[in-house]
Amino acid sequence: MRWEVFKQDTPTKPHQAVGSVHGADAEHALLNARHVFGRRPAAVSMWVVRADRIYTRTAEELASEAQRTPIAAGQERTYHVFRKSSHRRSMTFVDHLVEVRASGPDAALQVALAGAGDEPGLAWWVVDAEDVHATEPEAQASWFEPAKDKTYKQQSQYGTVAPKRHEGAVG
Amino acid sequence: MTADVTSALIARLTAMADDELLLGHRDSEWTGHGPLLEEDIALANLAQDEIGHAVLWYGARSQLDGADPDALAFARPAEDFLSCAFVEQPRGDWAFTLLRQFLFDTYEAEVLARLERSPHAPLAEAAAKARREELFHLRHTGMWVRRLGLGTEESRRRSLDALQVLWPLYHGLVAALPGDGVLVEAGVLPDWETLRGATFDRARTALVAAELDPGRDPDPTAAERDVVREQRRELLATLQEVARQDPEAAAW
Amino acid sequence: MTDGPGTQQATEAELLERFEARIAAGEKIEPGDWMPDEYRRQLIRMISQHAHSEVVGMLPEGAWITRAPSLRRKLVLIAKVQDEAGHGQYLYHAAETLGASRDDLVDALLSGKAKYSSVFNYPTLTWADVGMIGWLVDGAAIRNQLMLAQCSYGPYSRAMVRICSEETFHHKQGKEMVITYAQGTPAQRRMAQDALDRWWWPSVQMLGPHDSDSPNTPLLVRWGIKTKTNDEVRQEFVDEHVPELQEAGLRIPDPDMRFDEKTGHWVHGPIDWDEFWRVVKGDGPCNAERLAARNRAHADGAWVREALEAYAARHEGAAERRAVEA
Repeated sequence: MRWEVFKQDTPTKPHQAVGSVHGADAEHALLNARHVFGRRPAAVSMWVVRADRIYTRTAEELASEAQRTPIAAGQERTYHVFRKSSHRRSMTFVDHLVEVRASGPDAALQVALAGAGDEPGLAWWVVDAEDVHATEPEAQASWFEPAKDKTYKQQSQYGTVAPKRHEGAVG
Repeated sequence: MTADVTSALIARLTAMADDELLLGHRDSEWTGHGPLLEEDIALANLAQDEIGHAVLWYGARSQLDGADPDALAFARPAEDFLSCAFVEQPRGDWAFTLLRQFLFDTYEAEVLARLERSPHAPLAEAAAKARREELFHLRHTGMWVRRLGLGTEESRRRSLDALQVLWPLYHGLVAALPGDGVLVEAGVLPDWETLRGATFDRARTALVAAELDPGRDPDPTAAERDVVREQRRELLATLQEVARQDPEAAAW
Repeated sequence: MTDGPGTQQATEAELLERFEARIAAGEKIEPGDWMPDEYRRQLIRMISQHAHSEVVGMLPEGAWITRAPSLRRKLVLIAKVQDEAGHGQYLYHAAETLGASRDDLVDALLSGKAKYSSVFNYPTLTWADVGMIGWLVDGAAIRNQLMLAQCSYGPYSRAMVRICSEETFHHKQGKEMVITYAQGTPAQRRMAQDALDRWWWPSVQMLGPHDSDSPNTPLLVRWGIKTKTNDEVRQEFVDEHVPELQEAGLRIPDPDMRFDEKTGHWVHGPIDWDEFWRVVKGDGPCNAERLAARNRAHADGAWVREALEAYAARHEGAAERRAVEA
């Protein structure tokens, strides 16, 4: 089963979609997410969500849908809405934008779109809050912090690697 | 620190470093051959962490006698290693590897929590660093113990087979070294008998919860870290192969 | 986009025109967006070959993890080979966003149907090969990956950006190693030169056939999947590496290698494409060994994956029962 992974780099940054992992269940998937996306800094929190539970729309899809499905009345639930807002070079996809109460994912998206104003977004993901499996806040010290000490795999630690000028080739 | 205490501490740090290095080495043999891409990555993380801990312990020893960590790992004869049979065993199958790692993590969680409070600062600092990672390891290997024990008939059978080998050897990992008594007396190390009890209780509880009863506790025996076993010799022949190729080399 | 309800009836030609206009404008195509079947097919082909190359690429260097000659080199090599697994992982993810399944792709690799980079079918004979692979093979790969990081398909491009940042570490650690050995003891220098002699041509070849023999290139360039041709990328690789290798005191095993003052580029001799195609098609020195190793790992892991599934099924069943009872 495939699980989308959302990583938060610092407490003031949003959770961002970084890729997915295979995992047989949520616990397995969350540990795999840490192993795959937390082996270098930085992270303070990770979420995994079953890929098939995510409601997705691109700007193109939204434009081509003849009309919006009328919002059905129903019990409100909490949804996390994520958005991609630029074509810039990036290693992450959608960013967490807002948490909304709505009767369904499409309704949640409409609320988010209405609030997005000038920045309509290029792609949207909507996730039911109950589908989110998150690392515990106290896990940070043992799950994420130690990666900072593994400097041997950080390219910045190597600086400029250049040979000293050498007299003649190997004969 | 008296000469007795120093030499006992050197032996203790070397034994801990050797165990971490050899276990990390065994784990690293899986890199590229795991059962799932994500698990390949996971085990490579654990291998790096354990070898990283070996670096910490060799470094702490270095502060006492100036020994070079690389020379300790790559130029020391097998006879002078102080590793235990538990970490020297070949990697075995996935059940053997993960159960060994789980048992090791359990022991480390117990021992490091105590060493963190040691009055010998280099020891306490290294322990605090290593312990953070061990807590995460236990989450990972604890997850695996439940899946191995409660997964399929085959995973359970393989796990019990692995425990038949590992459980009796577990004592050799946890047992005190001949010089540890001096260190306990000097207050550098915690009481080893309490540590042993806590480790075995914690491991047994988790195993039984996964329907993997390891059987009765092995009789306390000597650690037997000064015996050169075939597995240690084979492992070190590989580990030191390149480093020994060119004795002239100033750097690798 | 302001298209109204009529959009759903847009013809294939209109859709294609709009798709190509988006790419020309530098927009990224995302999962869910309209794309030609051929774009999807080409991407799955390229991305999966790339993923397989990363996974098979763990093997030649992985064989030296247990023999790495210092604590730091051991940590570095485990991390590096682990990164190759990670890169395979990111790339399978990108292919999955196009509707491919990782299981199917892996089956194609294991059965020998899928291709992967020819360079990983050469043996690693000495420890210096590990450094040379980092410097040359990863150096060549980065050139290709920097280009693909600009590709028009969002998930592939993002995977590449992540891979490039990690691959730079691979390149630097390899270069650091080879320079150390090229300036070390006579035995180390011989080892470094021998590694260069064996890895130079496979690295030059791995960037792919000449553009005249690469039928897919024009389409891939038009759709923004590739933004440079194989020969352009190869030239970048040669220009970067030849002077550095020479400065380290090593000799490039190409008697025709010369610097062209007029163009400012290094010019290499003829490439043995017969060898390249032989190795790609399965007849390289290590093809059988590499596939056997992957098959063995997959077969040995079957019971592990079954245990995971069985536990998850039982666990999930229990969770659902609890939900019903509540």
